Amino acid sequence: MVTAQAMARYTSAGYNSLVSLPSQTARVKVLFFGRLKEIVGHAEESVEVPDGAPIEALFSHYGASHPELARFRASLVASRNQEFAAWSTPLHSGDEVAFLPPVSGG
Amino acid sequence: MSTPLQPDLLVLVRDPIDQVALIGHVRAAEDGAVVTFDGCVRNHSHGRRTLYLNYEAYESMALGKIREIAGQIHERFAIHLVAIAHRLGRLEIGETSVFIAVSSAHRPAAFEACRFAIDTLKRTVPIWKKEYFEDGAVWADGEMPPAPLETRAAKPAS
Repeated sequence: MVTAQAMARYTSAGYNSLVSLPSQTARVKVLFFGRLKEIVGHAEESVEVPDGAPIEALFSHYGASHPELARFRASLVASRNQEFAAWSTPLHSGDEVAFLPPVSGG
Repeated sequence: MSTPLQPDLLVLVRDPIDQVALIGHVRAAEDGAVVTFDGCVRNHSHGRRTLYLNYEAYESMALGKIREIAGQIHERFAIHLVAIAHRLGRLEIGETSVFIAVSSAHRPAAFEACRFAIDTLKRTVPIWKKEYFEDGAVWADGEMPPAPLETRAAKPAS
């Protein structure tokens, strides 16, 4: 569950306006790749967030438990359901989220 | 341009890339040119001797982004077909990590489309390369994909 502290920033900024019931939660799948997978220690997990919480809040949750992850925030791009997404994108049940390090294919 | 009779070939593979098959896939009687790009594993990086590489991908999204690139080059250039294969897993020095083949009636379109495809792939497809050296390993410096604008950002007055 994303911490209340991490969420508070966003609710105060009006990012919970889409949430009809404050207690409503959404289960989302989170994926880690490359160095982020090495930091977190696994490739994917399923977590509950307040419905409508922005991707940024979910990242703050991981950043709090893995300070090394937070260090990379400026170089990461978020994705939701396999499309690049703004950090302010609200999350809903069934969403698949990933935090993508700079890509180096080719 | 005619409508492609066969679809483009866009794949992520774990075995060596069959370049001849990819070229054969795009080449047709109506084409006057096939341009290819062969991305291969270099034996050095930033002055250090590379032993081997390991590629990993967000596979479903990577394939989706490769399909987008194929769609873009069909829209922008007068090409016939495109084949793109990216390999994942451990690759040795000299092996092909990515191969692109583009066919067209006349060569300029195939040259331009092939260049656009590899440049876009390197910027937008979620694939990561880890380089192994004699004294350790590092994730390669990559490129940040273009991120969507944040909704909280102030919009310029119209």
